[in-house]
Amino acid sequence: MKTAIKLALSAVALCALSAQSMAQELRMTVWTGNEAHLKMLNGIAAGFIAKHPGVTVKFETVPVADYTQKLTFQVAGGNAPDIAWMMEDAAPAFENAGLLMDIGPTLKATEGYNFEDFSEPAMALWQKDGKVYGMPFSTSPFLIYYNKDMFDKAGLEDPNQLAAKGEWNMQKFQEVAKKVTDANPGKWGFEFKDGEGYASRMTHALLPPVRAYGGDLWANGQCGLDKPEAVAAVKQLHDMVFKDKSIVPPGEQGDYFSGNSAMTVNQISRASKMPEAGFKWGIAPLPSGPAGEAPVIGQAALTVFASGKNTELAAQLVAEMTSRDNVAVMAQFFPPARKSVLESNAFVNSNKLIPPEQMKSVAAAIVNGRVHPSHEHVPQIFAAMAPRVDALWRADANVEDALKGVCAAIQPLL
Amino acid sequence: MAGKAFRDNAARAAGAPWLTLKTREMLEAWLFVSPTLIGFLIFFLGPLVAIFYYSTTEWNLLSQQATFVGLRNFHNVLLENPDFWHVVRNSVIFALGLVPLNMALALSLALALSRPFFGVVFFRTVFFAPVVTSAIAWAIVWKFMLQGEGGAVNQMLAWIGINGPNWLREPNWAMAAVIVTRVIKMVGLNMILYIAALQSIPRDYEEAATLEGASRWQVFRMITWPLLAPTTLVIMVLTTIGSFKVFDHIYQMTGGGPENGTLVLAFYIYQQGFKFFNVGYAAALALIMFVIVMALTLVQVMLRRRDME
Amino acid sequence: MTARRTEILYRICWTVALLLLAVPFVFPFLWMISGGFKSTTEIFGTPTLIPRIWRFENFVEVFTYQPFARQYFNSLYIAATVTVLTLFIASLAGYALARIRFAGAGLLMLFLVMALMVPEEVTIIPNFFLIRAMGLIDTHWPLVLLPVFGPQGVVATFLMRQFFLALPKELEDAGKMDGLSRFGVWLKIALPMSRPALAAVAIITFLHSWNLFLEPLIFLSSLEKFTLPLALSNFNDSYGLPLWNLQLAATSLAVVPILIIYLIAQRQIIESFALSGVKG
Repeated sequence: MKTAIKLALSAVALCALSAQSMAQELRMTVWTGNEAHLKMLNGIAAGFIAKHPGVTVKFETVPVADYTQKLTFQVAGGNAPDIAWMMEDAAPAFENAGLLMDIGPTLKATEGYNFEDFSEPAMALWQKDGKVYGMPFSTSPFLIYYNKDMFDKAGLEDPNQLAAKGEWNMQKFQEVAKKVTDANPGKWGFEFKDGEGYASRMTHALLPPVRAYGGDLWANGQCGLDKPEAVAAVKQLHDMVFKDKSIVPPGEQGDYFSGNSAMTVNQISRASKMPEAGFKWGIAPLPSGPAGEAPVIGQAALTVFASGKNTELAAQLVAEMTSRDNVAVMAQFFPPARKSVLESNAFVNSNKLIPPEQMKSVAAAIVNGRVHPSHEHVPQIFAAMAPRVDALWRADANVEDALKGVCAAIQPLL
Repeated sequence: MAGKAFRDNAARAAGAPWLTLKTREMLEAWLFVSPTLIGFLIFFLGPLVAIFYYSTTEWNLLSQQATFVGLRNFHNVLLENPDFWHVVRNSVIFALGLVPLNMALALSLALALSRPFFGVVFFRTVFFAPVVTSAIAWAIVWKFMLQGEGGAVNQMLAWIGINGPNWLREPNWAMAAVIVTRVIKMVGLNMILYIAALQSIPRDYEEAATLEGASRWQVFRMITWPLLAPTTLVIMVLTTIGSFKVFDHIYQMTGGGPENGTLVLAFYIYQQGFKFFNVGYAAALALIMFVIVMALTLVQVMLRRRDME
Repeated sequence: MTARRTEILYRICWTVALLLLAVPFVFPFLWMISGGFKSTTEIFGTPTLIPRIWRFENFVEVFTYQPFARQYFNSLYIAATVTVLTLFIASLAGYALARIRFAGAGLLMLFLVMALMVPEEVTIIPNFFLIRAMGLIDTHWPLVLLPVFGPQGVVATFLMRQFFLALPKELEDAGKMDGLSRFGVWLKIALPMSRPALAAVAIITFLHSWNLFLEPLIFLSSLEKFTLPLALSNFNDSYGLPLWNLQLAATSLAVVPILIIYLIAQRQIIESFALSGVKG
């Protein structure tokens, strides 16, 4: 009798087990709610499901504003997703906490994957001691967006024309920003990225000029903002805001996309906002500086959580999503880190909104660009920076002292 | 249905001879308070005790590793962290600005609106309306209106020749702005409480005093104000506690900035615990906040007691 | 005659002063609603109260951009649940504390007073772990449990106790003589008499839940589970940038119905506060 019950029980257990393995669900958190993005992702997932019957893939949108925080709550709540989009600034913290799986073996074992195709600088953040913690799906350089109409009104050459003549540098940038502001009363020459240069994107405002002058926010555990190169770069920005009044000042809105600023810095994904903008526009590389050209890249990767039930399957999905074909598909929104795709004509022609020759400069920036500096304690660093950067953005601030203050605040954390 | 079963049980208990009246009463009382009590133990007292334990650990929410560190968190908070005293200072300034302003305005409005006159309903409605509005919505709108040059507030000030500051970008102005907008949001509630209290004061007292030639101010000072004392105490205590709790308003309007000028305790705890994931450190902060709020409340109650005696 | 004239003058002065004072209370609502009908470009252009172009589609996009109707419903049903539960539990406990003398009552009161003084921010961290242990992260449970059993529930208990204390005892005694149990007295006599207090407690509780922000921020991560305050701060595009006009349109949608209910019921609301003796 007892054995019979045992048998029956184990049969039930077996059924339950196999039922579970037949209906495997992979959950992936993303921060986009954009319909076109989700449609594309689901399309890629459909290809994976076709090869792995019984598997379902669910994309869960977590709002971008608190994405990293909410992801942490899911992890701390014992409810980590199988796969997550990960921002560059969050990666080290998750990696150091041992939460991410090494997906290298799976990727390298995947037929036709060609791991070496990913450009080395693009992989820098995601590899450690030969282990691979994430595969970049978006490696997106910072670019200058300009309002052609406003430049025409001022009778100026636009940044692209200047770049073609090799004159597009930080000095010229300040000059045209001032002129275009004077020619367009009530508007500005330049707006920081997304108009958030004094708040959530404070480092995105500082980084491009600082890099152009040969500095960095921090490197090798050393704060770089009080170095002469960085001070000179920020002084120039400060003058543009408060002396030339050509950059949208703190507390004001000069939305580029609404036609209130002649230039801004952004990534190619924002081109999708341009058709409704109602003015002629273009993109150009970031202005070069004393240190030459210094493209800046924003990056995001696919990571697999080690705590998941189906980590191997999840890693296979990552391999599928970052295969050559699918990277090419995603390139319409998310610039690739695969050299073969970057060099292809398909990529240069992939964006309906951006002409091929401008896409070539995008591709060049991806290959040469360096990612925004990262660190395990990025949230703390940003929080320590914020009040001191606020002090920097006052009309009467002494730039050098303010930057020393920034460094004093963040050095202990580095 | 449940009510009937309950009643039957109670009736049976009533019929049980082995239960004295007193024990039965006690059982009933504990039965009545048991839902509150059980919830209170689980969701309040337990966590409060847990905070003591958490505060002695170094605990990272991400890696989920906790190590016992004794009183190090307190040492770090109180002695090594210059931001902490700045944050306490901000919280105190916020409370010192908000509580008197809120109470004075609430009392003035209540005095003006406690008796019927043409339009009284309109005014009561207007001053109470922000109370029913979500704090986030309120903060979103004010953040817009307080923008530098283009903001609605500064445009209005410009009509009367005032060149308004860049409200949310200057630390002191930002603090003033969050205090005032919070008062506007919350004053209606205290106003209603005062109106309720004023209406329960018998009219004859004031009328008698007026007949004897007392001025309006004298009537208020000698009769109305003393009679309002219990209400004033409750309002003061609740408003003070409320001012230390302020979170959503700051979160949406300034995010603690500029230059940490509006970084208050509640927000700082949130930041440490849920942005930086330092659970132990945040717990130490929470415990300190608990002590501060408790002490302030007791002081207020004691001062008022002495006043009244 | 002159006395009357000064009285009238006095009234006019008061009314004008009140009208001026009312501006910062009313203007944000007008500005918010008008902004909800504008395009982003116009919001940042020269501010006018009447939109130049009425963009009604903002109010449609609010619902297509995120599951706003669902989020609206979440807020409504959570607030309603919290209110009903709080009313039940708080009036039970408040009644016992007001009417029955029992051992431990003093101690209980002391503990409850303490709960009044402790901000939610203090206990939120252990509560996070508690809710996690219960497996209720990213559910609506914590948004019901924490307010009902937290400081807000205690406030409600105190208000009910104060009110019951002020009620005449005679009717209840009569009820007891008629053979009603304690529960029966509470249900059939005490509760019906305490409508103003129940109304006041219901309003305070509902608004508290409706406005709750920290708890949803910490416990919820899926969009379709969001509550209104969280949803309002989430009208951002896929890059985290605020969509100002949608945010204002959504804010109007969140605020206006409550305002209308309040306008219709404002006399009763204010009376219930007055009658409930919330004054403490």
